[in-house]
Amino acid sequence: MPEVRVRFYATFRPIVGGKHADVAVTEGASAGDLLDAIVTRWPELHEHLIRPDGGLSKRANLFVDGRAVRFLPEGLKTPLRESQEIDCFPAVAGG
Amino acid sequence: MRLSNFGQDIAHVDLASGRVEMRPAPEDWTRKYIGARGLGVRYVLEAGAEVEPLGPDNLLCFMNGPLTGSEASMSGRWACVTKSPLTGTVTDSHQGGWSGARLRWAGFDGLVFEGHSETPVYAFIEDGRIELRDASDAWGKGIHETVAFYQERYGEKNLAVNAIGQAGERLNRFAVWVNEDDRAFGRGGTGAVGGAKKLKAIVIRAALKKSEVDDRDAWKAVRRDALDVIRDEVNITSPKKGGLSVYGTNVLMNVTNRIGALGTRNSQTTSFGDRAEAISGERVQETILVGDPTCHACPVACKKEVEVTEGPWKGLRMESVEYEPAWSFGSNCENDDVNSIAKLIDQSNDLGMDPIELGNVLSMYMEATERGWLPSGAGGLAWGDTAAMVAMADAIGLREGEGDLLAEGTTLAATKLGHPEIAMAVKGQAVPAYDPRGLKGMGLGYATSNRGACHLRAYVAAAELGVAPGEGEPLDPLEWKGKGELVKIFQDLHAFSDSLDFCKFSAFAEDAGHYAAQYSTAMGVEFTADDVMTAGERIYNLERLYNNRAGFGAGSDTLPARFTEEPSTQPGSEGHVSELSSMLAEYYAARGWEDGVVPASKLRELEIV
Repeated sequence: MPEVRVRFYATFRPIVGGKHADVAVTEGASAGDLLDAIVTRWPELHEHLIRPDGGLSKRANLFVDGRAVRFLPEGLKTPLRESQEIDCFPAVAGG
Repeated sequence: MRLSNFGQDIAHVDLASGRVEMRPAPEDWTRKYIGARGLGVRYVLEAGAEVEPLGPDNLLCFMNGPLTGSEASMSGRWACVTKSPLTGTVTDSHQGGWSGARLRWAGFDGLVFEGHSETPVYAFIEDGRIELRDASDAWGKGIHETVAFYQERYGEKNLAVNAIGQAGERLNRFAVWVNEDDRAFGRGGTGAVGGAKKLKAIVIRAALKKSEVDDRDAWKAVRRDALDVIRDEVNITSPKKGGLSVYGTNVLMNVTNRIGALGTRNSQTTSFGDRAEAISGERVQETILVGDPTCHACPVACKKEVEVTEGPWKGLRMESVEYEPAWSFGSNCENDDVNSIAKLIDQSNDLGMDPIELGNVLSMYMEATERGWLPSGAGGLAWGDTAAMVAMADAIGLREGEGDLLAEGTTLAATKLGHPEIAMAVKGQAVPAYDPRGLKGMGLGYATSNRGACHLRAYVAAAELGVAPGEGEPLDPLEWKGKGELVKIFQDLHAFSDSLDFCKFSAFAEDAGHYAAQYSTAMGVEFTADDVMTAGERIYNLERLYNNRAGFGAGSDTLPARFTEEPSTQPGSEGHVSELSSMLAEYYAARGWEDGVVPASKLRELEIV
């Protein structure tokens, strides 16, 4: 699994330059590893995705197969697998 | 315009006699119920919960809040409050734009319309005067033509025009009032109450007036504090940066789709898959967005003006492709053509119908068609047939052919078809765009809303999607525990902001402390964040008292069985249903209610009686 396809939305798209991107990770990478790879590749996303004290910002969502990683039992340590759907959103609201 | 004088200038308009009387609201009412939503409900309660919604005894109240039209950010809203012909509950609906502000600047805090007129009339309001004038020459016109008609008569400058369309005139149960900015009092059928009263329009001419307060420096400081947090909320409200500002409300489409909370095919499933992108705010922004108009005193500018550039509706320019109708006419009708959605919204704004209810009634009829449940001779409607949807929307607005049945609303129409189970509605009002299987708190919010299914009474989706208030953390959308207390908090907070009357979206940045500081400084009274929550709770209980008296007792807080019995099959929420009964028990305990009924002790505790 050298690359993971990540779909981006809303205000993250202009930063990434598209709707999705293939992000390089190491074999056996976790959701947290992917998060690190994303902010390394797009430093502008760091302030949106990462808390000042590290970890995923509460104002952003990283979904694995439709579930926010913060609510998965292993959180950011959740191992990624082939063919999972990964979505990355800023916190959004409206109504 | 001294803000602390709020409540002194309420016009009571007897449509039968044409008599107008100015009577201040009782001081006790403005102190307890603040204004707009709360004050309007108090007036409607006074008329009695047993009134016939379309009869002459029902009141139609247009109420400002104490901060409507002031310099406070996002204060451009006002409320329409009445007994709903769609639900039989009390209902309040709120409108953006500039109309409420202009009413305040014209010297009025609220309008209470009583009785029925024999012939069509409109109210003309200017400089402390209100007159009923003949509207025979506007009756029969759509809202866009009616607005243009009065703009030609009075000039566009400083003019606000609110009107009903043919749907309201023909007593469509989900008819609305719409203003010159295509902003609507959208839910509950307030336009039908106007139609029954033969009140075609409210025309207000007034230029901007500055607020007067006792402590101008403090007023400036509290407004600055609120504006700062709106600007600092970089992901949502920050002007030109936050998702709500850049993409409008339809920024939600992709996220609810991905978590399995986007009702599709009349909520038979919970995701539109890869087709949702085509009707999302991101797609609109890329393809047909042409402008970002805004409401009075709003830095966010969530409205998104579009122009259709291809297909049968090429050249249509309208505002705005909001998330709710993009869902109701989109995934819920299995339609991924955003241009047709723009057309259907524009039709709703012109004929004067609630697009949430209209989309639901169309999707319900599509399911009835698919299952062969139509009366003999009826043509029905196929999923995603946009030309037929547009034609049917006209028929519903005009009550022609099959449209006459569907103009009764989702619940009544499905009941008349013999299949009430395919009406996705609560207390007679159709559900909005958040499937309760994927966002558990929203389901409880729908069930316990005092105006029928509603996303805005308790917008807990914010916390469930990562916009937790204050220092709070996001909450798991699939966890039901704790949602009872959460829904109560959101309902109480929003009952207060609806009574100020602030845009609901202010709550993505501001908290009860910001509301309290602005209210207290404007009114010159002591008022804390705790007082905000107490006043909101009082207003929510007042509405519940009305509904209890109107026949909504134990067992009235429900959801369609589809949400509680048919598990989601889509990623994100797969296998989940709404655990409504468990959440209700928690909620009633938090409220101190007995199976949805407010006990006398609670009414005394909140000083309602």
